Amino acid sequence: MAIEIRNVEKTFGAFTALGGVSLDVRSGELLALLGPSGSGKTTLLRIIAGLDHADAGEVSFDGQDTRDRAARDRQVGFVFQHYALFRHMTVFDNVAFGLRVKRKAERPAEMDIRRRVGQLLDMVQLSHLATRYPSQLSGGQRQRVALARALAIEPKVLLLDEPFGALDAKVRKDLRKWLRHLHDDMNITSIFVTHDQEEALELADRVVVMNHGQIIQVGTPTEVYDTPADSFVFDFLGGVNRLNGIVDKGVARLDGHPVRVDGEVGPEGPALIYVRPHQVELGVAPADGVPEGKWSARVSMVHAAGPVARVELDLSGRALEAQLSRDRLSDLALQVGSWCTVDFRHARVFPARA
Amino acid sequence: MTAAVSTGGVKPAKRGRGFLAPTILPGFGTAFGFTLFYLCLIVLIPLGHMVLVSAGVGWTRFWAITLAPRVLHAFYISFGCAFVAALVNAVFGLIVAWVLVRYRFPGRRIIDAMVDLPFALPTSVAGIALTAIYAPNGWVGAFAKAAGFKIAFTPLGIIIALVFVGLPFIVRTVEPVLQDLDAEVEEAAASLGATRWQTFSKVLLPAILPALLTGIALAFARGVGEYGSVIFIAGNIPAVSEIVPLLIVARLEQYDYAGATIIATAMLGLSFLLLLAINFLQRWTRSRHAR
Ligand SMILES: Nc1ncnc2c1ncn2[C@@H]1O[C@H](COP(=O)(O)OP(=O)(O)OP(=O)(O)O)[C@@H](O)[C@H]1O
Ligand SMILES: [Mg+2]
Repeated sequence: MAIEIRNVEKTFGAFTALGGVSLDVRSGELLALLGPSGSGKTTLLRIIAGLDHADAGEVSFDGQDTRDRAARDRQVGFVFQHYALFRHMTVFDNVAFGLRVKRKAERPAEMDIRRRVGQLLDMVQLSHLATRYPSQLSGGQRQRVALARALAIEPKVLLLDEPFGALDAKVRKDLRKWLRHLHDDMNITSIFVTHDQEEALELADRVVVMNHGQIIQVGTPTEVYDTPADSFVFDFLGGVNRLNGIVDKGVARLDGHPVRVDGEVGPEGPALIYVRPHQVELGVAPADGVPEGKWSARVSMVHAAGPVARVELDLSGRALEAQLSRDRLSDLALQVGSWCTVDFRHARVFPARA
Repeated sequence: MTAAVSTGGVKPAKRGRGFLAPTILPGFGTAFGFTLFYLCLIVLIPLGHMVLVSAGVGWTRFWAITLAPRVLHAFYISFGCAFVAALVNAVFGLIVAWVLVRYRFPGRRIIDAMVDLPFALPTSVAGIALTAIYAPNGWVGAFAKAAGFKIAFTPLGIIIALVFVGLPFIVRTVEPVLQDLDAEVEEAAASLGATRWQTFSKVLLPAILPALLTGIALAFARGVGEYGSVIFIAGNIPAVSEIVPLLIVARLEQYDYAGATIIATAMLGLSFLLLLAINFLQRWTRSRHAR
């Protein structure tokens, strides 16, 4: 099901939680809502589910306005940030709940309910825990019960609020992959909230970046990562070096040397140069001075665990981080205290704020 | 007055631990000994003595006194009214607790404080206040009279008095459990397609049932033992609106110590059985939670 969100606004007292948000969610896609804490992600999700009402604007499902459709009639599966399981019910009864509260005419026979719940529990790999109570489960297991419960009503839309928020890194990774498969198998439109950029970029078809109740950028993971709309998105999507430079006659300069820039250079004056660590190119410093157009830096730290090495550098008083392969690192024979040349493959320039 | 209101559902079930098995908590032996001694001194010895005295009277006399129509009726009134009052409180106390927990409104603190008034007030004050309103010449009593029935000096009056004194027991036992319940759980039920009624009956009520039962038990026990607030409004008409505690006092005033003691013992036995039954009921509902 496609979801159109038009100019949705929501205020709590004097505070604007959502300031005119518009978004088209395509049928069958897995969309990530990414943003820092308090940016309005949960609020938007709750409005889509009908748990909260927008002050202005509209949300429609497949072209139909949802204003008069209560949460219970929306066929939206909602997985809460803190699971919100029914703690006096077993895992089985939790999952069966949505089927058992259906109107008499639509309610499946008890036998069909058992079969369906059995299938769902198989799918989330919890069949062996069907008679347990939520308090007897681990966090990841509760998470999967919440998911199975939401899926039991065969929703057209699945909304997940920080589905992996409270879990440890390993379980997160597993559940992530698993959710992706599930989404593809079920042919469902899913939106999940996260403030973990890695999760959003890895899992989603498209990523929506939010800040202060506004949508800043919408795009595929590659788009938002490679061409961030502004400095906030650039910053938020993972490690970045921010260097104070200057724009002079249309050329960005760092310590006098020109910087190769993607896109606009922006207005004249002080500027911030953004470079991702893996776009920093290091080279062996020649004995007779530094080549034209390059910077030189001193190595202050080398982290060589894992496939990618991180090198911390001192570039005339500024901290700079570079990422390079382990092979490249050994070619360069970098050590703490040694010198090297620095160049930037890609950089973006944003005006420095006063 | 019962100050320690235990809150049924929120206590985690204790893990089974062998009696007197070594534990990490220090001083178990001393504390246990003290508990036993204290309970004996405060509860067991006086009550035991009472039972002994009435046992000395002999079975025939025991039954003759307790099965006398006036006494039987007093038992019926005492337990019946306390039970009805506890049920009334279960419904309305639950609503009050709900409003206090879920809504923020001006004057909430005042209402919150008002709930405790029946705890703090000397019960005779409550009795006088209620009688003044519900007597045939009182505010509400006059309306009732016009409508053709009486409130004060009937079992209805007793029930009203017991509702008054029992209210805080329900509200204060249910409140913390309601507070503990996430509003998200209700939203989850709604998004799964449940109606409001289904959400209440399948999600909320089961979650608060153990606490509610505790509250009912406390209110009921209080109602059975209530004296001060009831005697004014009840009018104490034999075989109509006479409660057991009053009957006991009446016997004492006639220097019929044996009769008073026997009725008291019967009361003790019945109360104990009822509390035991309620306790089992609570156990059963709580075990279904398997926390
Ligand atoms: N019921 C409410 N009353 C008042 N303010 C609220 C309410 N709900 C949310 N807010 C405010 O609205 C803003 C957005 O909240 P929201 O829960 O949508 O954030 P979020 O993006 O989900 O954050 P997080 O990642 O921390 O969950 C926050 O600043 C929050 O304080
Ligand atoms: Mg949130």
